[in-house]
Amino acid sequence: MASLHGPSTFRPRQAYTADPISPPPEPAHGQPFPSSPGLAYRARPVGPRMSASRGKPHPPGGIKMQRGEWKLLLAVCAVAVGVRFYRLGWPDSVVFDEVHFGKFASKYIKSQYYVDVHPPLAKLLITLAAFVSGYDGNFDFKDIGKLYESVPYVAMRSLPATLGVLLVPVTYLTLRALDCRTDTALLGSLFITFENGLITQSRHILLDSPLIFFTALTTLFWTGFCNENRAAAFTEGWWVWLTCVGLSLGAVVSCKWVGLFTIATIGLCTIRQLWLLLGDTKVSIRLWIRHFLARALCLIVVPALFYMAMFELHFLILSNSGDGDGFMSAEFQHTLNGKKMQDTYADVGVGSKVVMRHWNTNGGYLHSHDHTYPGGSKQQQITLYPHMDTNNDWRILNATWDASSPGYDHETQPFRALLNGDMIRLEHIITSKKLHSHDIRPPVSEVDFQNEVSGYGFPGFSGDANDNWIVEIAEGDKRDRESTKRVRTLRTLFKLRHALTGCYLFSHKVKLPDWGYEQQEVTCNKNAVRANSLWFVEWNEHEKLPLTSPKVNYRKPGFISKFLELQKVMWTTNAGLTERHAFDSRPTSWPLLRRGINFWVKDHRQIYLLGNPVVWYLSTLAVVLYLSARGLLILRAKRGYKDFNNSGLVFYDNVCGFLVLGWALHYFPFYLMARQLFLHHYFPALWFAVLLTAAVYDLATARLKPRYRVQVALVLVGLAVWTYWHFNPLAYGGQWTKGKCESSKWLKTWDFSCGDFPQSVSDRSCPMGVADQKQYGDYVTGASAKPTPPRVTMVADAHQPGHIPQQNVAEPSAEQSATLATAESVGNVPQPGRDVFQDHPDVIQPLSASSSAKPEVGPQERPETSKAADPEEAAVEAATEAPPPLPANEPENSSPDADAETLD
Amino acid sequence: MEKPTNVYATGFILGALAFAVRLYKISNPDEVVFDEVHFGKFAAYYILREYYFDVHPPLAKLLLGAAGWFVGFDGQFDFENIGDSYTEHHVPYIGMRVFPAVLGSLTIPLVFAIMRECGYPTLIAAFSASLVLFDNGHVTQVRLILLDAALVFFMTMSLYSYVRFRKLRYWEFTFEWWAWMIATGVSLACTLGCKMVGLLTFATIGTAVLVDLWNLLDIRKGLSLEHVAKHFFARALGLIVVPFFVYLSFFWIHFKILTHSGTGDSFMSPAFQETLQNNEMLLNSQEIRYYDTVTMRHKDSKVFLHSHPDRYPLRYDDGRISSQGQQVTGYPFNDTNNHWQIVPTKSLPPTGRGRVVRHKDVVQLLHINTDSYLLTHDVASPLMPTNQEFTTWAVNDTTRYDDTLFEINIIEAHDGEPWKTKSGHFRLVHVPTRVSMWTHSEALPDWAFKQQEINGNKNAQERTATWFVDEIINDETGADLRNRTGTVEPKPVKQLNFFRKFFELQMLMLQHNAGLTASHPYASGPINWPFLISGISFWTHNDTQRQIYMIGNVVGWWTCVMALSIYVGIISADLLARRRGVYPIPEPLRNRLWNSTGLFFAAWAYHYFPFFLMSRQLFLHHYLPAHLASALVAGGVFNFIVSETINYPISIPGPNTRLRPRTHAELGVRSFIAVGVFVATLIAMFLYLSPLTYGTPGLDGDQVNRRRLLSTWTLHFAGK
Repeated sequence: MASLHGPSTFRPRQAYTADPISPPPEPAHGQPFPSSPGLAYRARPVGPRMSASRGKPHPPGGIKMQRGEWKLLLAVCAVAVGVRFYRLGWPDSVVFDEVHFGKFASKYIKSQYYVDVHPPLAKLLITLAAFVSGYDGNFDFKDIGKLYESVPYVAMRSLPATLGVLLVPVTYLTLRALDCRTDTALLGSLFITFENGLITQSRHILLDSPLIFFTALTTLFWTGFCNENRAAAFTEGWWVWLTCVGLSLGAVVSCKWVGLFTIATIGLCTIRQLWLLLGDTKVSIRLWIRHFLARALCLIVVPALFYMAMFELHFLILSNSGDGDGFMSAEFQHTLNGKKMQDTYADVGVGSKVVMRHWNTNGGYLHSHDHTYPGGSKQQQITLYPHMDTNNDWRILNATWDASSPGYDHETQPFRALLNGDMIRLEHIITSKKLHSHDIRPPVSEVDFQNEVSGYGFPGFSGDANDNWIVEIAEGDKRDRESTKRVRTLRTLFKLRHALTGCYLFSHKVKLPDWGYEQQEVTCNKNAVRANSLWFVEWNEHEKLPLTSPKVNYRKPGFISKFLELQKVMWTTNAGLTERHAFDSRPTSWPLLRRGINFWVKDHRQIYLLGNPVVWYLSTLAVVLYLSARGLLILRAKRGYKDFNNSGLVFYDNVCGFLVLGWALHYFPFYLMARQLFLHHYFPALWFAVLLTAAVYDLATARLKPRYRVQVALVLVGLAVWTYWHFNPLAYGGQWTKGKCESSKWLKTWDFSCGDFPQSVSDRSCPMGVADQKQYGDYVTGASAKPTPPRVTMVADAHQPGHIPQQNVAEPSAEQSATLATAESVGNVPQPGRDVFQDHPDVIQPLSASSSAKPEVGPQERPETSKAADPEEAAVEAATEAPPPLPANEPENSSPDADAETLD
Repeated sequence: MEKPTNVYATGFILGALAFAVRLYKISNPDEVVFDEVHFGKFAAYYILREYYFDVHPPLAKLLLGAAGWFVGFDGQFDFENIGDSYTEHHVPYIGMRVFPAVLGSLTIPLVFAIMRECGYPTLIAAFSASLVLFDNGHVTQVRLILLDAALVFFMTMSLYSYVRFRKLRYWEFTFEWWAWMIATGVSLACTLGCKMVGLLTFATIGTAVLVDLWNLLDIRKGLSLEHVAKHFFARALGLIVVPFFVYLSFFWIHFKILTHSGTGDSFMSPAFQETLQNNEMLLNSQEIRYYDTVTMRHKDSKVFLHSHPDRYPLRYDDGRISSQGQQVTGYPFNDTNNHWQIVPTKSLPPTGRGRVVRHKDVVQLLHINTDSYLLTHDVASPLMPTNQEFTTWAVNDTTRYDDTLFEINIIEAHDGEPWKTKSGHFRLVHVPTRVSMWTHSEALPDWAFKQQEINGNKNAQERTATWFVDEIINDETGADLRNRTGTVEPKPVKQLNFFRKFFELQMLMLQHNAGLTASHPYASGPINWPFLISGISFWTHNDTQRQIYMIGNVVGWWTCVMALSIYVGIISADLLARRRGVYPIPEPLRNRLWNSTGLFFAAWAYHYFPFFLMSRQLFLHHYLPAHLASALVAGGVFNFIVSETINYPISIPGPNTRLRPRTHAELGVRSFIAVGVFVATLIAMFLYLSPLTYGTPGLDGDQVNRRRLLSTWTLHFAGK
């Protein structure tokens, strides 16, 4: 058998032609011979593969390296380490989305539950790095530019940096596995090494570096698998490669959901493989099914398990309650330490003191408080409130009370369970109002079929007929038979029908305005959606119940239901991120590198995410070249030209086709996304495009003598290195001058702010670290002549408009307010949140005198720095900031709105 | 059955039935129903010749307007609310409804003809046609003053013309060939002229044409490149150039008719508005001079630029600090605190045109009541840390002179263009920091009396940072302003190039179409449509418990869905089998399945799937074109199931065509019975749901409950 496997130059050449004109060739051996994109055998007179394949049971697939090539690879890696790790500790303050991902690491270390739109793997890796280097989780990563204090941030940054370095050898090996030449692989990996955007992105605590690394790794494994598959299927090596692809796929998608594009790429290639295999009538259906199942196992089941394992880990670590609780259902929250509820009595009876929860929304508990509706009946508000509070307590009263027929009285008669069809009243214990409804439109949902629900009555007044509600049990728990017959705490879902109007107590995701503290609206709905009119009792007490009576608690949700719930929450949150961000961009602008992202500005330096224009434009050019060449070839084929009979052409077409497919699938889907997008979302596609550039180089120089090839490569790499060097101050946050910066704005749309750089380097050359102190001193005294350009505050652009105000609410600590008081009493202006009048130091001079303001305002709270960053997390964060739990009595309603007209 | 007389008779009967079904009780209800609110109103505007703005192209509305004019509607009814009575206001609504109903009825014979022309037997063609004929959804929609009847009709017409054109493929470049191609092009333009959805019909036909050209290009066809190019350019002419001009002509007529100012004015640019008679801009626009006192309003929110002596609080709730300067806010009501004087920064001639404020002039704005200049500086605004605070600065303090300089940046102006009230939309750009004065709807807290925040937007080109001068209060002399310009006569209407008007309107339509994202109680996602998960409540009448609920014929729609899935199944099975070297379907039958049924399937897919990408409000009636296509697919699939033979040849043989023996499809008696039973069920279901379709008779609670075939239908007057 072995002798049959010596590859001949003819067989593969035809085997990879998908052109229907040429009939499928006969494989020379019994094994299936599926072609795979980018894996065509290359008709080359002497190749490493052939020599290596001799004398073995089957030609091993994977990557063939020449002797000594490892040294070359090591050298490239060394360069990459230099480029990626250079001054990794600078800046020593929070950069861009480190705000979020650093914070998540803190949360993992403190085991506080949080919700984020990204899956956990990359964040777990960062946490691991932090944990190993002894981080205690006590830093809040509050604002961009906040100085790090006792945080092993270099270790945390070195994780993405390491993966960024590893991307380089993976690139090299992938190109080699694609049967490209050594010089091609070298060119590709050097392009990746000197890509400023990838460098910038991998030097900070961000998720994209792991994502890109795993994308590349998957591609490498897949290429290796295809090589193996071409040689022989179902060998040990074949299985290993295939499993590696599966694991790596799982890792990609566990970093960010963008990894689904990688899955799509591999999926399409697999489908193509299977399709070609199906066309080979020599392959029996049985064998084909084996192929199919093997791939399904390794490429679907394995990644899915990997992905779920990551979430299992996530749940295991985050065992305590945190600011992500509010996103989750009651059952889920109950699994978190600190949110656990004590067991409560199972049997609800007339006279029970209960807390009722809305089933379908996370709006919380049926709530009332001592404030009235501004319109409608002007009676007391009824809302849903998400936090535990005594204002959530209600007493179930018997509504058959009537002067003539007294009915049941819970105070005097023995315990009686609440049954289906019972007519009850609900009394709000603190305010002694009854749950009431009448034919008045609700405050927000002013539609005919909804009625207002209010609190009505006064102590001693037994209520009127509009207070009567009928209990309708909708659903019981399957494991608790009794729960369908009578109301049982946590087990019975019931509806409350208003006895007179027939509407159902209802709530939906509609918030009341300011006067209702943005709590959720409760109405009585005649056309109620079933799910939104279901309620259950979460807490229950009754005086007549003996202490020994049965108790219940939430059932612990299993992993699967927790997992699915979190997926849903992530999805809705992600889809909701549609607000604009100052530095977002649409996919159309990415291949042309029209705009970058401002990561950090401080002390006349800035970090701005911008690609290496040479590499970037070459990659776009390569894509355009390939697509147009391929289009031309298709047209020529239609007109009868036999281009595809050339094995060299077919080889390059396969390699390039595979890479372009990867590029397209990592790029075009973004057009469908309405959420905010950033330049860094293009990086996985860029990686494919850079590989394509290398492949095009390989093709273009295929007929040159090696000496000339090397010269061409040297020129290209030289150009790339030169532009890298030119733009490195933006990547590393290094020194630059205004003039150099201005002249580097090759496109008008590149909006790094040159105003932040000094006129000349000497002007502002301060050693790092000390810089802050000095700068700050300058600022405060206003001594510096006028080096500060007028628009230092451009950073502010990086901030999401809108969410900042919330960040600092409820912050003023006692200390701060004390400072404020002193400052005001002296008549001084306290440290501004931003530099007020910085151009007019004379106006604001007193500041330096007020020494009391100083300690509070560390240099990290320099005016330019402020809260910012990737709005994805910002949105989550804003949402997480649950309204400060209102005490039993909410703060007094703010003074009535001043009537603008009269005042003017 | 296949004798020409029989065919024509069948077609005629189907047509007659269609008219009967669609015109039955067309006068009921005599009240405004659903979107008649809009389209009736637009028809009235055409009659009154008042300019309006809508997201749909004008053809269908022009036709409705023409119908209204023809039956003597005078435009004096505003179609304000659903349920307004027509008879009380003497609106000849029946004529206006008959017009779409006629188009809707004509669609049925067209469907029949398409199937016949494609070579399906008469029985199959009748089967497809009755799927549309007895469809409650189609009937509901075409009986009212709505656009969809015209849309569906023209879409069907496009398909029909294209089929006729394709059948002439062996007679290329003959007169008939050209005629049917141009007919296709014109029908396409009409489809697009009704609604933007017409683009999907373009895509369908376009794909078919591209496939056709691709096959012509094949070397095995033996055509020279020149010949292929000739084909290509012929199609480009007939299917792109001609439709484009036809489409333009609709707008040309639209602008020709709507010459008076109306509700749509404010959507358009000032230049456009000045082409309309009695437009406010035309009447009241005046040149502004230095030292005039003016009021300025924000274009979108209409608030005045306002200031008052109160100051910004030193420290905001979030801990940030303000300049504590005087507040500058947006205020919606007239007030003397809205008065600002325009102060020059250059020397002025004592009199004459030199005193007029022009584009790019740098000015100061003096707040009259507090005697201070408008100023902005690098301090965060109260609500948005990213934007600059606006305040004022005392007039006699020159330390901040630079910060009080603003440039008047008139939109789309040439150099030296004078600044005018009303029409001169401008941005106020701060000279030192290049921010634009901007406002947004968020209100300031109590300390600013809940007025609107004014701040500096760093994006100087921000589209919403547009302001205009509302009026000139007085000038420095206090003289009567009107006399300044000399004349008070009405100004002549300006002319604007048709293409400028066309492109302006076209862009606005696209923008507003995308902006229709507000939720609507009866909006539904595309996934619900083929299964009729939910309908639309068009109209209800409480006293008689009558209602119109737009929902399709459940039997028909689910048959169509089944046919679609069977089609996909057959096609995939065929592909897989052929991959394994098995050829299960005879070649002629397979060709029919791929080419003819394939075209219908493509039409369905093109008219359905793009809706998944649209984030605007979507309704069940958006599925009607796709439903019609699916009825055609159902015919094709049914034919495939019941018969292994087909009518051949279909294309008209040319002089050089190699003729193969002619064959006829043979349908057994059983298929007649099957179709008969099916159509009977269809009609039964149609009649059962017809009270919801025609809005009469009224139903009591139980009857409504019984007609609620799916629990998701939100019918009114349901019993308990």
